[in-house]
Amino acid sequence: MPVFPTLFPGTIWQTNVVVIATIFLTGLIVFILLRLAVARMDMRHPRGLQNLVEWAFDFSESMAKDVMPSDESRRFVRPLAFITLLFLFVANWLGLIMSITVHFDPHAHVWGLSPSDLQTSKGDVELFDSPTSNMSMALGLAIMVWVISHARGLRHPAKWFRHLLRHFPFGLLEEITNPLTHGMRLFGNIFAGEILLGLLLRAPFAFHFIPWQLPFIILWLLYSGFVATIQAYVFSILMCLYIGMKSFEADSQH
Amino acid sequence: MFQVGGIFQVGTFIFSVISFLIVFFIIQRFAFKPLAKMLEQRRIHIETQISEAEKSREEAERLLAEQQRLLEEARKEARNMLDQARIRADEQAREIVQKAEEEAARILEESRQAIVRERDEALAAVTKRVAELSVELTAKLLCDHVTPEVHKDLLAEAESKLGELVC
Repeated sequence: MPVFPTLFPGTIWQTNVVVIATIFLTGLIVFILLRLAVARMDMRHPRGLQNLVEWAFDFSESMAKDVMPSDESRRFVRPLAFITLLFLFVANWLGLIMSITVHFDPHAHVWGLSPSDLQTSKGDVELFDSPTSNMSMALGLAIMVWVISHARGLRHPAKWFRHLLRHFPFGLLEEITNPLTHGMRLFGNIFAGEILLGLLLRAPFAFHFIPWQLPFIILWLLYSGFVATIQAYVFSILMCLYIGMKSFEADSQH
Repeated sequence: MFQVGGIFQVGTFIFSVISFLIVFFIIQRFAFKPLAKMLEQRRIHIETQISEAEKSREEAERLLAEQQRLLEEARKEARNMLDQARIRADEQAREIVQKAEEEAARILEESRQAIVRERDEALAAVTKRVAELSVELTAKLLCDHVTPEVHKDLLAEAESKLGELVC
């Protein structure tokens, strides 16, 4: 189990600093990407980055259009879908592109690290990783989506209540399993990809010189990249779906 | 599960959601909105361009049809005018010829009448002269034994006879 530097160690508020930092880094990357696209926007000859961003925009737009029942909810979910898609795409790829592990003396006293943690990981401390390969973060996003969807659903309390009790008790059960699977799916895919990549990278060469793991690393890297992309899409479209299921404006409009 | 140092960290959970929301709102405010606005502008721009192009093409087609119609009309008019001019010219020519013919016929008639008149006059004069001569001759032959009454009678007879003879 990798060890991360933490804030408030030893209390219930223990916080993974790397996750918070990489969330902001991912946000910064997405922000710069979008600002560049805006600055380079050309009305007549769209190319390169602009095409990519426009494609992502249209993609999230059609994603929202497919699952959202009304124009209002579509407008609401559009920025969320677009930004989540790009954010998760970048976040999932971060750990594949780079992961930094620093080796500390297990007996040293380092800021943010408890001596027991250092001893369990034999001094290896991760300083850079995908934020989504952290379960707390992935579940946090999923529960955030859950809260948003119910907040929208509660704007029409009668319909929301009827919706909950429609398939009693499975409707209620679903409200617990949906956010759990939503977050755990993202976390599991990314985490598994990075763990296996780390294991392959740390594996010793055969006879100390044959890099037997190189083809496996390349193969696994490609597969993980595919999974990272797909998971960004899956998380975003499920988010649209969950919010769409709790948006009852369509019924009241027609 | 919620124990300190476990795999699920409440602090990480809360702070990652908070930081994601911060990141989300910053991106939404300062990157997504301008982008969406520009894409919308672009879409509107392209749509107006296309509709304008279609409109101007329709206009051009309409103008072209109008021009062709006008050209056709002008051509038809020119042909009509040419035809009319030709008809008028033909008419005028015919009129001129007719007038000339009439004039000629008139002149001919006049000439003929003049000739007839002249001839009659000449004939009358000759007849008169011949009658006088023959009467004089007769008088001379009769050795002046003629009274003026007889002379008058003779003259009249001779004239009528001569007139019969001539005519």
